[in-house]
Amino acid sequence: MNVSAAIETMVSNIDASAASYLDACVHCGQCAEACHFYENTGDVRFAPVYKLDLMRRVYKRHKDPLAGLKKLVGLVPKELTQTDLDEWSELIYDSCTLCGRCTIVCPMGIDIAGLVRKTREGMVAAGVVPEGLTGAAERALETGSPLGIKPETFRKIVAEQAEETGIAIELDKPGVDYMVILSAMEILNFYEVIGALAKIFKKAGVTWTMSTKAYEATNVGIQMGDKAVAKTLVSRVVEAAEELGVKYVVSPECGHAYSALNWEGPNLVGRSYKFQVIHILELLEQLRVEGRIPTKGKDSRRLTFHDPCQIVRRGGIVEEPRNILGQIADNFVEMSPNKEANICCGGGGGVSSNSNAEKLRLLAFGSKKRQLDEVKPDAMVTACGNCRNVMEEAIDTYEMTMPVLSITELLAEYIED
Amino acid sequence: MSFLEFVEGPLWYVAAAVFLIGALWKVVGILRLGRKADLSIPRASATAGAVRSQFLHFVPHGGFPFRTIYHLTAGYMFHIGLFLVLLFGAPHVIFAQNNIYALPWVTMPYWGFVVAAQVAFAGLILLWVRRISDPVMIKISDKDDHIGSWLTFLVMLSGCMALQESVVALRATHMLLVDMWLIYFPFSRLMHAVTFMFSRGYTGAFFGRRGIVP
Amino acid sequence: MTSRGLTRFLQKLGCAGVIVLGVWFGMTGIALNAPAFAQTQDPAAGSVPGDTKGSTSDSDFWRSISQGERGKVSIPDQKAAVMINRSGEDWRLVRMGPLPLWGGVLIGISLVGILGFALLHGKFKMHGQRTGRVIPRFSQAERWVHWFVASLFILLGLTGLVILFGRFLLKPVLGADALGAIANAGLQAHNLLGPIFIVAMTIMLVMYFKDNFYQKGDFTWAFKGAFFSKNHPPSWKYNLGEKSWYWLIAFAGTAIAVSGVFLIFPTVLDDVRGMQLSHIVHAICAIVLIAASLGHIYLGVWGVEGAVDGMTLGYVDETWGLEHHRWWAEEEIKKNHAVKSASEAVLAAKKETST
Repeated sequence: MNVSAAIETMVSNIDASAASYLDACVHCGQCAEACHFYENTGDVRFAPVYKLDLMRRVYKRHKDPLAGLKKLVGLVPKELTQTDLDEWSELIYDSCTLCGRCTIVCPMGIDIAGLVRKTREGMVAAGVVPEGLTGAAERALETGSPLGIKPETFRKIVAEQAEETGIAIELDKPGVDYMVILSAMEILNFYEVIGALAKIFKKAGVTWTMSTKAYEATNVGIQMGDKAVAKTLVSRVVEAAEELGVKYVVSPECGHAYSALNWEGPNLVGRSYKFQVIHILELLEQLRVEGRIPTKGKDSRRLTFHDPCQIVRRGGIVEEPRNILGQIADNFVEMSPNKEANICCGGGGGVSSNSNAEKLRLLAFGSKKRQLDEVKPDAMVTACGNCRNVMEEAIDTYEMTMPVLSITELLAEYIED
Repeated sequence: MSFLEFVEGPLWYVAAAVFLIGALWKVVGILRLGRKADLSIPRASATAGAVRSQFLHFVPHGGFPFRTIYHLTAGYMFHIGLFLVLLFGAPHVIFAQNNIYALPWVTMPYWGFVVAAQVAFAGLILLWVRRISDPVMIKISDKDDHIGSWLTFLVMLSGCMALQESVVALRATHMLLVDMWLIYFPFSRLMHAVTFMFSRGYTGAFFGRRGIVP
Repeated sequence: MTSRGLTRFLQKLGCAGVIVLGVWFGMTGIALNAPAFAQTQDPAAGSVPGDTKGSTSDSDFWRSISQGERGKVSIPDQKAAVMINRSGEDWRLVRMGPLPLWGGVLIGISLVGILGFALLHGKFKMHGQRTGRVIPRFSQAERWVHWFVASLFILLGLTGLVILFGRFLLKPVLGADALGAIANAGLQAHNLLGPIFIVAMTIMLVMYFKDNFYQKGDFTWAFKGAFFSKNHPPSWKYNLGEKSWYWLIAFAGTAIAVSGVFLIFPTVLDDVRGMQLSHIVHAICAIVLIAASLGHIYLGVWGVEGAVDGMTLGYVDETWGLEHHRWWAEEEIKKNHAVKSASEAVLAAKKETST
């Protein structure tokens, strides 16, 4: 384990914003109230502020503008050790989904998830990353997908969907407006979304394609905190899209994928793109407003919407899914809290691919479960393949019965034929 | 030179200088670390987000006010009481007018001072009590948290002990503790009184670009 | 306040002012005239000195005034008819004599008793091993309120002791000036913090009311030797001693609170004897509470292994629960609270707080 590399990375990660955060924190402990890992386990180590302790120590020892003076009187915290990194690995990777709910309750407005992410980068430098994530990263680099879905498999899945819907889907087609990428979970588990997209785009008259070089939106580099991996994976999408000369890349129903491509991508590759990134929810809403996707009938089930953290709270897409559901659902009901204060599914931020965290993830779902028990919906709609997969598993574990739907698929069902 | 003259004279000037230069040094030092330019395309204004965030975090939103009601109440009691006493307490105003700048200023009546001090005391004690009785707080609190709380408490206690303004030694004790507090300030979490603005601001700017301020 | 009420209030205030001024001038007059009077008069015994009219000599006249003789006044406040309040001297004698003496003795007995007990008997150890399973004992809110009251109690206790015993204990060591400063400081802090204590204590008494009624079994606990016997006799959530501590706080604390209000706001009572009585009650009850609190603190923090967890962390080890409060612990374990770990206890305590 390379402790000094971890310290070095964390030191270099402390910019003006991180320094302000670490300096302003008064250890008031309110963030604990926001954390579904703490709420459902009662384990005090899961208080978000405690997860930042490594970062705090590095800041106060190395970057605090008065650290030099404080060192003279022995007022700086101890240097990090191997034991610390080992101990915090659980806190940084297993018990944090980077959902960022703690920021809402923080009187100092500290972006705690952002700091956890920066700590993860230190963990990567030291080589203290859970196997589930390193494995996913290796598969992503080798095969193009963290779940090991090779281009041949992808082609086969797309072909099946084309056959099922009777709509031709042309891959690698240059000069179209939109290039769609998908999350690994969608390609493997929820491939009906491909057919749904085909149906919607056909109705709206949108020209689109998918690339066999870059069909994968999931960016495990972002989740584990490995900038090099993240950059490689983003570059694939950027290169493929620019090669095809599309105007837009459609970010799919996937939380981190949107952050990775839209918010972090340009900073990773070091330039802005020659195309624009549009989230599928934004695109659907735009088409809906333009009247290009007329719908027929409404779903009469009691539906609710689960806000994926990275798309809503940390992505800024809040009203779009509600407007879309407004058009196709008769009996829509909000969970409480919702929108930017929503409660995470428990499996974001790489937690779902981290087998060490499986038990914790199911426990953390307890908060979501309480929300659902209050509202008692017939079905839950969401816009993230990972949330969907995590919640389906948790719903099974808790012996509840409730389908979890993709908003795109649901919309496609109500498109006028 | 009497002890009172010392703590209200040379030591006061040293303490005030450490406080001002230290805090300034710290703020400049933090801001100088800078941030990389964000190349992503903003959805909305970062500046607007930074401003909004300043106000948003005065009260926890999104279903939290109730869950954190204890802390919220105690926190506001302490801070409001403290600011009232500090800014409008007659002895403080007179001291500031004599030693800093003779700005015309309003002062609270004696009973107002006492009530504000009581509110501040209750708030501070409640906050500290939470620190020693809540498992989360026990886990996350460090020396700095306790030193900061105690020093502030002692400043307040010595202040209220000198309330009758009839004993020089009590005034001197209060002043000595104030000087210590000022010197401790830039080196500690007490700095949150300044850095909270930057903390909120950076988060607000970061999220403001994304079109949402959590 | 109605205008009539206000008028009456102002009248009273005016009267009080007149009395104060009158007493002030009177005293000054006496002080100024007395030596001159003494010089010009022949103090020979038996003779009626001066130009006395009537059958009472001037010295008898003054003597009866100094003993609180009531005269005649034409203002409405008949209190003004007494020039020297004899009860003030009685109060002073108590405050300077038996009160600090016996108060000191009581606190001393408590200290010596605790110290002796700690040295001879030592800690009450847990007999069994800690199980790691825990039982939630005090909710978050209960702990907050307890420590809130405790910190104020310590502050008020210390300042109060300085005020009462300072002139006997500190003055010989520090001198009159230093004691003056310290006592002044103590009084300021005491008066400022007192009202907060009243609020906090009231909340605490309400909050802890539930389990503090004497129940069947409490006295058996005492007869079986309380915790002094080898095998702790079982008890409910609180044993007889703890319940008695609660009721002691309830009664002595309330007396302290009420008398304290009279002392801070003299106009409330508007009666000198009442004030003197308030002061004595305030001091006696406070000394009793302080003496008892020393035992409470010793047993809670050092004396009983594992007890302090309940008030800091909110939960106690199952072994501790069963050894010290068997009936309560069994009930709790039966209830849900088959709590396996510390973190589950945190959750249980949180739930109790939020409901």
